[in-house]
Amino acid sequence: MKAEVLKGHLDGLLLASLEAGPRHGYAVIEALRSGSGGEFDLPTGTVYPALRRLERTGLLRSAWTTVGGRKRRTYELTAAGVRALAEERSSWQRFSTAMSSMLAGAPWPATT
Amino acid sequence: MAGDHLTAPDPDDDAAEVVRGYLAAVAAALIGPQPWRADVLAELRDGLDDAITDHADGGMQPAAAARAAVAEFGDPYRVAAGFAGEAAARVARRVAVTLLATGPLVAVSWLAAFAASGAPMWQGRLSGVWVLMPVIGLVLAVAVPAALLAVVATGRAERWLSSGSRLASRAAALAAGLCAGGDVLMLVVFSLWLVTTTSGVLWPVAVWAMVVSGLRLVLASRAARHCAAVGAQAA
Repeated sequence: MKAEVLKGHLDGLLLASLEAGPRHGYAVIEALRSGSGGEFDLPTGTVYPALRRLERTGLLRSAWTTVGGRKRRTYELTAAGVRALAEERSSWQRFSTAMSSMLAGAPWPATT
Repeated sequence: MAGDHLTAPDPDDDAAEVVRGYLAAVAAALIGPQPWRADVLAELRDGLDDAITDHADGGMQPAAAARAAVAEFGDPYRVAAGFAGEAAARVARRVAVTLLATGPLVAVSWLAAFAASGAPMWQGRLSGVWVLMPVIGLVLAVAVPAALLAVVATGRAERWLSSGSRLASRAAALAAGLCAGGDVLMLVVFSLWLVTTTSGVLWPVAVWAMVVSGLRLVLASRAARHCAAVGAQAA
């Protein structure tokens, strides 16, 4: 699925990918890919800048850590990020319920 | 060394060369402050190492794994372009915060210089070169809100703005340009006063204000051009 299709939902996806705990950038890309059964194969040039934007806007925090002798930058949710994720979820639930009812093939109200 | 050309190339060297070449291409196209660019490249390097490990675990030779990893990361120019909005936001925020933080120092320096040079700041009406002073008020009335807008648009409010980084770049460029213009005006007005006044002037205070304002003029001019250039790339 192309990144453009996910525009508007990228922040929610990134926040959700970090809900279970801190991850580094490539692990976020892999988590989105595997968690979506390969549907969300987002490009590097989209995910890494978006993680930094979410950090700048206070929804994530990051730290350089050394793991197995390698320095890596890991991201995790802030309290504001947890709240933003809950809002994204709630908004998505409403949107998806409305879309499902529209696309389910059920009869539409008769026109007057 | 005579036998070197007979030695088979080390596959790890080939892999490292592939990664180096890719990161060099990203670095060449990446805009923004140098420490931030170095940080981005270090993060990409770490991600590439992960991708190479994944491909090598799948049975690829190191050089092939490195080529597969850079292919997976995509066109280096597109990767660098992906960071343009973030670079613009960071530059705009830094410029705006610096202007807001240093503005009071410049203002206090000028007020001290006026007080120390017998300048008739207000005697019921403005006369001579001092009639230009209301322009400074106008500059501040636009520059300060513009700088504040740049700070707000690159903070949490960015979530609700469709193009916060572009807006912030323009606002910061405007604020910096106005501050530079204000400095020019102050330097001209004060210099004219100094060459025409017969009052006693406390020169260290006057020179201090002119140096501070002159320095801010140079830096704000550069910042305005930089914000505009980086913001244009983020567009």
